[in-house]
Amino acid sequence: MPREIITLQVGQCGNQIGMEFWKQLCLEHGISKDGILEDFATQGGDRKDVFFYQADDQHYIPRALLIDLEPRVINGIQNGEYRNLYNHENIFVSDHGGGAGNNWASGYHQGKGVEEEIMDMIDREADGSDSLEGFVLCHSIAGGTGSGMGSYLLETLNDRYSKKLVQTYSVFPNQMETSDVVVQPYNSLLTLKRLTLNADCVVVLDNTALNRIAVERLHLTNPTFAQTNSLVSTVMSASTTTLRYPGYMNNDLVGLLASLIPTPRCHFLMTGYTPLTVERQANVIRKTTVLDVMRRLLQTKNIMVSSYARNKEASQAKYISILNIIQGEVDPTQVHESLQRIRERKLVNFIEWGPASIQVALSKKSPYVQTAHRVSGLMLASHTSIRHLFSKCLSQYEKLRKKQAFLDNYRKFPMFADNDLSEFDESRDIIESLVDEYKACESPDYIKWGMEDPEQLLTGEGNASGVVDPKLAF
Amino acid sequence: MEDDDQQKAADLVQELVLRLLSQNPQTPNPDPNSPAFLKTLRYAFRILSSRLTPSVAPDATAIAESLKRRLATQGKSSDALAFADLYTKFASKTGPGSVNNKWALVYLLKIVSDDRKSAVNGLDSSVLLPNLGLGDAASSLGNGFLRGGEAKKKDWSNGVLLVSKDPENLRDIAFREYATLVKEENEVTEEVLVRDVLYASQGIDGKYVKFNSEIDGYAVLDYVKVPRATRIMVRMLSELGWLFRKVKTFISESMDRFPAEEVGTVGQAFCAALQDELSDYYKLLAVLEAQAMNPIPLVSESASSSNYLSLRRLSVWFAEPMVKMRLMAVLVDKCKILRGGAMAGAIHLHAQHGDPLVHEFMMNLLRCVCSPLFEMVRSWVLEGELEDTFGEFFIVGQPVKVDLLWREGYKLHPGMLPSFISPSLAQKILRTGKSINFLRVCCDDHGWADAASEAAAASGTTTRRGGLGYGETDALEHLVTEAAKRIDKHLLDVLYKRYKFKEHCLAIKRYLLLGQGDFVQYLMDIVGPKLSEPANNISSFELAGFLEAAIRASNAQYDDRDMLDRLRVKMMPHGSGDRGWDVFSLEYEARVPLDTVFTESVLSKYLRVFNFLWKLKRVEHALIGIWKTMKPNCITSNSFVKLQTSVKLQLLSALRRCQVLWNEMNHFVTNFQYYIMFEVLEVSWSNFSKEMEAAKDLDDLLAAHEKYLNAIVGKSLLGEQSQTIRKSLFVLFELILRFRSHADRLYEGIYELQIRTKESGRERNKTQESSSWISEGRKAITQRAGEFLQSMSQDMDSIAKEYTSSLDGFLSLLPLQQSVDLKFLFFRLDFTEFYSRLHSKGKES
Repeated sequence: MPREIITLQVGQCGNQIGMEFWKQLCLEHGISKDGILEDFATQGGDRKDVFFYQADDQHYIPRALLIDLEPRVINGIQNGEYRNLYNHENIFVSDHGGGAGNNWASGYHQGKGVEEEIMDMIDREADGSDSLEGFVLCHSIAGGTGSGMGSYLLETLNDRYSKKLVQTYSVFPNQMETSDVVVQPYNSLLTLKRLTLNADCVVVLDNTALNRIAVERLHLTNPTFAQTNSLVSTVMSASTTTLRYPGYMNNDLVGLLASLIPTPRCHFLMTGYTPLTVERQANVIRKTTVLDVMRRLLQTKNIMVSSYARNKEASQAKYISILNIIQGEVDPTQVHESLQRIRERKLVNFIEWGPASIQVALSKKSPYVQTAHRVSGLMLASHTSIRHLFSKCLSQYEKLRKKQAFLDNYRKFPMFADNDLSEFDESRDIIESLVDEYKACESPDYIKWGMEDPEQLLTGEGNASGVVDPKLAF
Repeated sequence: MEDDDQQKAADLVQELVLRLLSQNPQTPNPDPNSPAFLKTLRYAFRILSSRLTPSVAPDATAIAESLKRRLATQGKSSDALAFADLYTKFASKTGPGSVNNKWALVYLLKIVSDDRKSAVNGLDSSVLLPNLGLGDAASSLGNGFLRGGEAKKKDWSNGVLLVSKDPENLRDIAFREYATLVKEENEVTEEVLVRDVLYASQGIDGKYVKFNSEIDGYAVLDYVKVPRATRIMVRMLSELGWLFRKVKTFISESMDRFPAEEVGTVGQAFCAALQDELSDYYKLLAVLEAQAMNPIPLVSESASSSNYLSLRRLSVWFAEPMVKMRLMAVLVDKCKILRGGAMAGAIHLHAQHGDPLVHEFMMNLLRCVCSPLFEMVRSWVLEGELEDTFGEFFIVGQPVKVDLLWREGYKLHPGMLPSFISPSLAQKILRTGKSINFLRVCCDDHGWADAASEAAAASGTTTRRGGLGYGETDALEHLVTEAAKRIDKHLLDVLYKRYKFKEHCLAIKRYLLLGQGDFVQYLMDIVGPKLSEPANNISSFELAGFLEAAIRASNAQYDDRDMLDRLRVKMMPHGSGDRGWDVFSLEYEARVPLDTVFTESVLSKYLRVFNFLWKLKRVEHALIGIWKTMKPNCITSNSFVKLQTSVKLQLLSALRRCQVLWNEMNHFVTNFQYYIMFEVLEVSWSNFSKEMEAAKDLDDLLAAHEKYLNAIVGKSLLGEQSQTIRKSLFVLFELILRFRSHADRLYEGIYELQIRTKESGRERNKTQESSSWISEGRKAITQRAGEFLQSMSQDMDSIAKEYTSSLDGFLSLLPLQQSVDLKFLFFRLDFTEFYSRLHSKGKES
């Protein structure tokens, strides 16, 4: 009963980061490209069955569903070196293969169309596990398939598997550059609504920051997708180490997330990782002690969320929770010292309406992957500054919406038929109230927030659920 | 006056010189004014004013005595008596007119008489003033002799005449009296006494010298007339006999008891050593006895020839044996009641002596005495055999159960520990032999023999018997050290490699200390519901099944089967009201030889730690359970739109309150867990691992493990001193569990409400016309919801209040705890200074 986790990779971006993720997991567990345990992988202690199951012939098969509406990326996987790893029954490519055309509405609509087929696959996987812990969705929020179809899947999972956890690794678009996807703000907004309502935990992977990190920290002039994706896979695998290498604490996803998310709505986590390398590129070897790692994790430059979000009103911003997962050979006594140093230097600002602290999980490092660093660390944190990311989304949306630009593409689909754009308004309201709640968390009076002003409540919560409700009732 | 005196003295000197010169035949009538006379006078003055002193001590009595003695030896006993009489008179004269410097006078007389004697022997009388006669004295040597002889004769008779009026008669009487006196006093001749003393020295009564029990010693019989001095002398000499008797008696008594246990091998060795000494002594006596009757070969026949041995000679001969015998007697006295090591120790105490004779003697003795003891050490250290039939060794074995062999099987007997073996060396000796026995009995291992012979080779001694003796304590220590090093290492190797000590410790850490998270979690999942039932309903059989399932489902399945088999479910004795939670625990079966480390008391400590951690896990589990019911996509995706604003506010407030309280509790529990993990388990374990590596012997290892376990117990608030704080912690745990059931009810109610409103909403959509009925229903729902939420909020409030005050109590107790590490706990709990702020705020208001 290993608390299995089923991974859903949706869309081009989702499948790319998913692929990297599995590559990394295979390396760490000593599983070959064909899913066979390598001869050297005898040192036990790791738990492979959370993410893999064994076929009759002892092959390790990822508990993963590969879903896309166009075949390009998935074909790449099927012809790549890891083609024998996946269960081919778990691969779904839309029949017509036309994709979603970067249109959320199209992805959502198509998702609804193939719901049965996909849910069959999910049910099969779920039935194959002893005690399913939950689902992990990898997608981007800007495109068509990952955002639209991903949104649909989120709603469906929330409905069908309401007791199971739903965690997403959501790639946020690069908001610094003008994207080739002009409707990105629409897609983002609509997806954000589902992430707010139907996911239990969203790990925000900000492309802006990923690019910046690739350029600044890794000194890559033109980071490729593969390179930024490997950053993502590093984060994903690191955030699951405590599940894969069981220890005294944090052995399941619920335990991991529960302490991170004390307020149900504020479940967007940002991540930081140090020391970063790409493709085992020989980097400058730095001193890695627990204190160094923990200190660096608190530095803005190592955090995979846009720096503008981090810097805006930075003095106001507060951590709701922090979990540092430290991997490697660590002397446990160092942890306390590091915490003490961090508190002395006042390196962190925590919420004032309740007790909080930096949680530290020590985890084993895979013996099969050689790294130049003795210690590496991942930070998962709920930080109120993330609201600026949503505000940015909102303002970009407002700009586009004011111009009534590109709405025709959406009106083609039933949700927006008859010029019913209430879905947009509703999403906007939900995101706004989310931003408000994050803001309220910065104040010591969060406990009373939302109680005094029934009007705000009506517009906030009321509208939000008012329209969601009928949909759930379908 | 002084001038007068001096003048008088000068005149007297001049007169004296004149007289002396006038006796010189060459100058019968010296002219006081002749230059020759003046020259002589000057010379005389020079002699007188010189500070020549005689080379004898200025003791008038001694000189008088020697004069008397000389007279006596010359056969003039009457003269001697007369002289004595005169001297007494002279000496008693004091006061004005008497001679001040009596000694000088007597000395002068003595010299004068000596000179006269030499004159009799043909020396010139001018020796009185040998150079006064100057150059011409030599030429008239022949005349001088005769003349001087005459003068002397006259002078002497004059002198005697001066002191005794009736010389002939008195002298004869005195002499006669003296002779009879000597004869009367010596009823027994010295030869006889010497023989008797020799007898007495062998503990045999002689003719006159017999053992006198009254004075507890040998003495000349009372009725035998001997001079007091002789009597005392005999008494002194025969002390040897007394001592001999004592030693001899001890030996023979011990010999008689030999087969019996109380003498022991050390005692036997002691007796043998004494016996050796005695035979030397016999030899001496034999020689003496043989020579006793021989006269001393003399050069001249004329001298009186006495026997070779006189009492005085004997006292010289006896000086050395006396010292030895006295020592032996002292030892015999000291050791009479002692045995074994104690005896060796007592003897050793006497060996520290500055006298080289004594020292060497004692060394010899100790070498013999200690050899059985050292032999025991050797066989104990190298073979683990306790060859101690008489209970003399300082290590005592006692039959115990196998698991107690190490701790209680062998003990040091401090009484039997000789003082030349230091306590630390004794410990080492004890441990080494114990290790061998432990290996043999508990580990069923024979590899130690190699280690032992290796040790013997390294220390240069063979494994043969008798390789060691006293005085070679260094060698002994070396042997013991080498043996200890190797055997301890071997023992640890066996424990580590063959019995996988470290692996077992890790297994205990994984299972009893809940280190294997996935296993614990799964066990909690499947056992949890069962444990909520009354303890009587639970069969441990069923629980064992769950345990097995948990092992199979978790990574524990890859663990060594041997270790997993040792893991058992234990149901503690329970009362009627107990639930499963109260009685369930896991235990680990230690088995031989590890049960030496994991004794019952150690295991019961582990049990307590397990129960505590299990409780903590249960609380954590409960909190996670709440989070699952209130997890984001359950709450956020729900609609409560159809509710009245007031009810919705109530709902929102109840939810928020629940979340905030949950956050606080979760913060407490997770941080407590982090504390347990980092500050307690991992830190203690890493210390323990270090000490395990550094451990040189099983004792070190036991101590390290003890320390490890005690650290965990102490830091987990399970110690004796932490009762108060533990209680307050358990109150918090109880509150959290209560909170869980409340929260469950709250969410249940909310979900029900959600379904109701959804249904009613759907109804409304379908049948718009009959809204009046629906609205009736809705109203009822709203009202019920309001009431429900109100009561829930109140309950929640009371729990929150109770929790806050309990937590406050707990936090205030933390700084009072002894363990420094609890400060870390406080530090973690109050990382953002939330509680200290709250506290100070509370104080202000």
